[in-house]
Amino acid sequence: MNDLNNKLNDILSRVNGIKITHKRNRRVRVDVPADSLTTLLELIKGQASYVHLSAITCVDWIKDNEFELVYHVWSYEENCLISAHTRIDRDEAKFVSVYDLYKPADFFERDIYEMYGVFFIGSPRMEKFILTEWHGMPPMRKDFDSEAYVQETFNWTEYNPDWLQELTDQGGGIAIKPEDIRLSGCLHNMATHRQRDKLKATQKVGKGWKS
Amino acid sequence: MRPENYQAVQLGESNEYEIFIGPNHPGIEGNYALKLVLDGDIVVKGTTDAGYLHRGFEKLMEGRLWIQNLAIVPRICVPDPAPMEVSYSLAVEEIMGIEAPIRAQWIRVMQLELSRVAAHLFTFGGHAATTGMYTPMYWGVADRDLVLDLFEDFTGGRVYSIYNIPGGVRRELPNGFLEKLSNLLDYLESRQNDYDNLLFTNQIFVQRAKGVGILSKEDALDYGVTGPNLRACGLAFDVRRDDPYLVYDQLDFDIPTQQAGDAWARILVRRDELFQSIRILRQVIEKLPTIKGPIRTPIPNPLSWNVRAGEAYARVESSKGELAYYVVSDGGDKPYRVHVRGPSSMHAVQTLEYLAKGARLEDVAQIMFSLDACPPEVDR
Repeated sequence: MNDLNNKLNDILSRVNGIKITHKRNRRVRVDVPADSLTTLLELIKGQASYVHLSAITCVDWIKDNEFELVYHVWSYEENCLISAHTRIDRDEAKFVSVYDLYKPADFFERDIYEMYGVFFIGSPRMEKFILTEWHGMPPMRKDFDSEAYVQETFNWTEYNPDWLQELTDQGGGIAIKPEDIRLSGCLHNMATHRQRDKLKATQKVGKGWKS
Repeated sequence: MRPENYQAVQLGESNEYEIFIGPNHPGIEGNYALKLVLDGDIVVKGTTDAGYLHRGFEKLMEGRLWIQNLAIVPRICVPDPAPMEVSYSLAVEEIMGIEAPIRAQWIRVMQLELSRVAAHLFTFGGHAATTGMYTPMYWGVADRDLVLDLFEDFTGGRVYSIYNIPGGVRRELPNGFLEKLSNLLDYLESRQNDYDNLLFTNQIFVQRAKGVGILSKEDALDYGVTGPNLRACGLAFDVRRDDPYLVYDQLDFDIPTQQAGDAWARILVRRDELFQSIRILRQVIEKLPTIKGPIRTPIPNPLSWNVRAGEAYARVESSKGELAYYVVSDGGDKPYRVHVRGPSSMHAVQTLEYLAKGARLEDVAQIMFSLDACPPEVDR
């Protein structure tokens, strides 16, 4: 195991600006600057048999104004997973594709392009895939507030069919106030105060659930 | 997303036609479509069209407490939900630096293997049905139901158990449960002959499945194929053995492989895996009564539970292949990011497009099902 680690460390240490962390058995985390990432992947694929791209993850660090891209690569021979972390500028949101090294990158890069708006130069299919009918901002970005979007777009108080009206007349209906829901503490956290106020103003609260 | 046409459309002056298979098609395990360009009945090009099941799970999870997400994760794959719960729990445990008690780990193994048995029984029937053979489907679903009865017994839920929690499992097994499990395993083993006669040695099925959708080992590695689909190409890789989690390193089981890489090889690998799962479950029945102790490591009050900052990549072997959760915490009461790496995201898109090319229209449904893709893993 130590030989193996030494060999891997030798290969990894050839990459500029690399920081290696052995997290636990079979898990290695490396942090590299964005311009060294493809060098790193080429090295570990070509010289250390890391042929399986398990996933590419994008994390939106909005406070740092950066996207973090994480490449999880597995070696069938050494049974070890390298997670290569790199950060790119959030405003520019552009990076190079690794499709020529790993074919599965096609799927992951298209997914990230769609959900985060990061454009991968050289990726074969930079187009809509899952959200073909969506024209707003990439929804997985942290500044897209899905709950606010729902509040603005849909109005459930308009939904008042006859059967519900009858129930309400008998003292039933949709009568659970948000603060009466059992997990009110977490719901309180989830909705911002602004949305809660708006909710209170618009929601028709029925009677009879709790006197 | 929505098919532009429901009838075959001729493309220009050529002999080529464009048609949609799906999104609702008896040959698909869920909702996704394949847009095909056909020349006669030969597929010139296939393009996967997903998104019909997108429910924004990853975004939802960022807005919910760590504990609330346990109710969301199993819904990402209906036929095989247990690996989702376990994988999420393992990732959170790794960030927190805790480990489930040994008894809980054995119970988790039992749940995972039962779920694999249920998923494979479902797949046999579905695969057979794509060749026009419906009896294995009825049998598979009926036998799967017996496994679901057991799930109901020890978790309370038939399909979505929501049984795991970071730190262990939620309930102790009911009295006499292991006996029931043992009886079920006896029954499933007694069915082996029937299944073999009906399906696995049935020449009509064998001739339809052999040589369809051939994937070479090199291509499988190229396209990121994992699980039974990879083992059907001759590579004996299994996360349970090669990246062991829970107590799999203490269990004795084989990794079935086939060399041909076609639809026939893939269903044979699943058949053999089913019996390996039974073998594992027998070991669990033997071992579990000897392990006493708690089933949960205490966690803080779930409503004010902050997981310390960190990240973890937890992989498990689901019935479809390598399933992984990448979870990032910034120290808050909700996950900062959860990424689900479903095995089907590789199988249902690029691999399927590659295999569909050059296939005959009548085989497309079989190729789709033989890859055993679970579309919600693509859409999430």
